[in-house]
Amino acid sequence: MRTPMHRFQYTKLTSAQIAEKLRAAEGGPTSVSPFTNVLNGKSIRIVTQDGPTLAYRFGNDKRLTLSENNGGNISARYGELTLNQMVFFSHLIPGTQRGYNVYIDQDTKLVTVFEVWLSSGIVAGTGANQYTLDDREVQRQIYFGYVDDGQAAPGNLHHYTNRIVGKGLYWKQDTGIETLEFYASVVNTNFVELTRHIDNLSWVSTSDYVLVDDRTFVYDRTECEFSGIHTSFVADLYKVEQVGVRFGFNENDELEYYMFRGSGKVVGQLAYLEPFDEYGRVPSWAAGNAPPAKGARATYRPVRTFTHMTDAEMHAAAEQSTVAFGGGPPTGPQTGMAANNMPFSDILVGKEFTLRFDHGGPVRDYRVTDMYKLSYRDQSEGVWHEVDYRAYEGDDNLAWFGHIITGSNPRAATMAAVDFTNGLATSIECHMGTPYYGNETTYRAVFGVVEIEGLDTPLYQRHELTTELVGHAFSWSYSDQTTSMHLYSSPHSMSWTIFTGNQTMGAQWCSPCLYVKLRPGVYLFCQNEEACNGAQMTELLNTKISHDCGFSYTGSAAGVRLNLVGAIGRHIGKFDILDYYGPKKREDA
Amino acid sequence: MSTRNANRERSAASPDGGRRSFFWKLGAGVSAALASTTGLARAGSVEGGNTDSDELAIRKLHQAYERALDQGLYDDAVAMFADDAEVVFDGEAFRQRSTGVSRLYRERFRAGKIGKRMEPAPGFEVPAGQQRESVEVSSDRRTARAVFPYSIQVGMPVETESSLASMARLHGEGVRTWWEGGAYEVSYVKVADGSWRIRRLEYRTLSRADYRPGRSHANPFSA
Repeated sequence: MRTPMHRFQYTKLTSAQIAEKLRAAEGGPTSVSPFTNVLNGKSIRIVTQDGPTLAYRFGNDKRLTLSENNGGNISARYGELTLNQMVFFSHLIPGTQRGYNVYIDQDTKLVTVFEVWLSSGIVAGTGANQYTLDDREVQRQIYFGYVDDGQAAPGNLHHYTNRIVGKGLYWKQDTGIETLEFYASVVNTNFVELTRHIDNLSWVSTSDYVLVDDRTFVYDRTECEFSGIHTSFVADLYKVEQVGVRFGFNENDELEYYMFRGSGKVVGQLAYLEPFDEYGRVPSWAAGNAPPAKGARATYRPVRTFTHMTDAEMHAAAEQSTVAFGGGPPTGPQTGMAANNMPFSDILVGKEFTLRFDHGGPVRDYRVTDMYKLSYRDQSEGVWHEVDYRAYEGDDNLAWFGHIITGSNPRAATMAAVDFTNGLATSIECHMGTPYYGNETTYRAVFGVVEIEGLDTPLYQRHELTTELVGHAFSWSYSDQTTSMHLYSSPHSMSWTIFTGNQTMGAQWCSPCLYVKLRPGVYLFCQNEEACNGAQMTELLNTKISHDCGFSYTGSAAGVRLNLVGAIGRHIGKFDILDYYGPKKREDA
Repeated sequence: MSTRNANRERSAASPDGGRRSFFWKLGAGVSAALASTTGLARAGSVEGGNTDSDELAIRKLHQAYERALDQGLYDDAVAMFADDAEVVFDGEAFRQRSTGVSRLYRERFRAGKIGKRMEPAPGFEVPAGQQRESVEVSSDRRTARAVFPYSIQVGMPVETESSLASMARLHGEGVRTWWEGGAYEVSYVKVADGSWRIRRLEYRTLSRADYRPGRSHANPFSA
C-alpha cells in the first residue's frame, strides 16, 4: 500500500454491506498455524465482572455452543491457539455483527474476554462536532472474569496495566506480516507495518493492555479513523511469542478474520514517568465518576473537526492577514508553546550574507542590522524586502532563523539554519497547501551554503537528511502546562504523546516528518500535523543541552501565522530499530 | 443568635461577646480575615443544647459539599443548595440553584476541575493557630452561618486549538490548574423537611499559587 493510512479514503461500509461480508466468516477464523484442541469436548462457564456470564460447550469439530447470561444456545465455529498456559479462542455469533475473543489462563482459571462488534452506532463528539462512528470500526469491550468451577470466586482478576508501557517489540506473524509496535502509551500503540506499507510510516491506534502475569500480557489495537480493523493477542515476553486474532475490514474492504502465531524481539524500553505506585489499573478513559459507556475508549479523531479550505480560500485568508511573531518586536516574555523557548539571539545583526541552495533552490541575499527585522532579496526577483524575523543561536556560531516570504502565493516561509563556522546552510522551505487541504503546509529541506566575507564556502560538504534520531524519544515541555513526548519512530515519521495529570503517557497521534543533521547532536526536525490541524512545527534540536527552539507555521480562516515554539527536553529512551528500515531490509526479506 | 465555635485550636483567651461580626464583613485582606476569624472564635462560647444537632448537621453538610467537589460530583454539590441560593466565586455572583448555581458547578467547576482538595502550596501555608472555623446557629434554629477554611485546586480550560490541548482533553486534562487557599463563608437555611441547605456561599480567596502536589516550589499567581 502506497497511500498513507491517514490519506486513504476508506469506504463508508454500511451495516448491510458488513452483514453480507460477515457471512463469509461463519466458518470461523482461519489460521496458517494449526489450531490447537485443548478445549475439545470441554464445557466451561465464564463469569465476568460487570459483564456477561458465558456458558460454552466445545465440540470436536471446532464448533461450540454458547449461552449468554443463561439465554438460548448459539452455535458457532471457532478457532483455538495456545501459548504456554494460555488458551485463546475466537468466534463470531452467526447472524449478528459481534463475537468474542477469549483468553483463559488454564493455571489460574482467570479469563479476559473481549466482546467485539461492528456497526456500533456510537455517537461521539459534542455539540456541532457530533458524529457517528463508522460502522466498519470494530468496537471492543473488555471483561475480566474467571472459569466458574464451583470454587470460590478468585479475589484478583486480570486487570489493565501500565507494565507494558514504554516497550517496543518487533513481531513477525506466521502470515509473514511484520510490524514494529511501540507501546508508548497506556491507551495507544504507535505501530509500523513493515510489510504492508511501502514508506514504513508509523501510525497510532487505540489500545488496551491487560496484565496476566509478569511475563504474559493481553493486548489489542483498533485502527480507528483508518480501516477500523482490530488486532488482539496474548504475548509471552520471556519467549517473545504471541497468539492472536485479526478481525475487521482492510483498505480493500475485504474481511480479515484470521488467527495467528508470531514471534518477535524486544527492541527497547522507554522510561515511563508516572508515580512509582501507579500501576495503571484504571485506564484514563474510565477514570471519571460515572461508569464508562460500553465500548468507551480514548481515541483521538482530529480530522473530524479539521475544517477543509481550498488553496484559493487559504490564500484569500492569507492576503487578509499574514502575521509573523505577533507583528513586531517582543513586548514581554514568551508564552504558550514558547514559554520554555530558547532566547532570541543577535547572531545575525551586523551581517550581510547570501544563502545559496543547491539544485535550483533559492538564492537569497540578507542584510541584518536589527535583532527583529531584516532585509532580504531573492536573486530571482531582485527586490529587497524588510520582514520581521526571529533568530536563535542553536549551537555555537550556528544561527537558526525564520521569516515569511513577502508576497508569496501560496503563502510561504523559510526557516534557515546557517553555520557560520562551517559555511553550511539548510532551509526548511514551506508553503500553505497540500494536495489534500489548502490549510495544511507543505515543507521540504533544501541544502546549500552561506556566502559571507571571510568564510570559505564548501563545494561538496552539505548538511544531510539523517536517521540518527530514529528510535529516540524525548519529552518536550513547552511550558509548565504543556508537555508532549516525541517518538521518532521511523526515518519519515514520528508520534507525539500527551501526558495525563500524573504523567502517565496517554493520548497519542502521529505524522510524517523529516530529520536533518546539522552537527553532531544538533538536528532539524520538521513535521506537519497532517489530516489533524495542518500545523507545522520546525525545530532545531540540540541534544547536548536537551532543548529545542523553532517555529510553527499555520493557516486557517483567520490567515497565516508564523510563530514560535520551544521546549525543554528529557531523553526518555531509545528503540534499536534502524535495521528494520530502508531498502536493505527489503532486500533481506 | 447563639454562637457555637469549634476551633481546631481553641484560644485560651476569654470570650469576647461584643464581637459578633461575621468574617465576610471585614474585607478581603488576609490579615484582616484571619483576625476576624480569631475574633469570631472568641465570640461564641454559648453552649446551646438545641443547636448541637444543627451544628453537627451543618458540619456534615459542609463535609459532604467538600467531598462532592473533591470527587468531581458536581451534581451532588448543586443538590445541597436552597432554591434561592447564591454563590460568589472569583468575584462573580451566581444565583438560583436551578440556573446560576447549577451553571457554575456543572459547567465552570467541571471544566476547570475545581474543588479537589489540595495541600497548601509550599510557602503559602496558613499558620496552624490561624486555621479557624466556626458555626453559628440562630436562636430560632432556622438559619445558620459558618466559616470553613479551604485549600483546593482551581483551574480553567486552556483556550487553544492546538492538538496538544485537544488531545489532553481526551483524558480530562487541557486545564490550567493552580492552588487556592481561603475561607468559605456560608449561610444556611433549614428547609421544610428539617434538613439544612446552603443559602449563600462565598469563596473568600486569601492566596493563589501555581502549584500542584509533588512540586517543591510555588509562585504567587494571578488568575
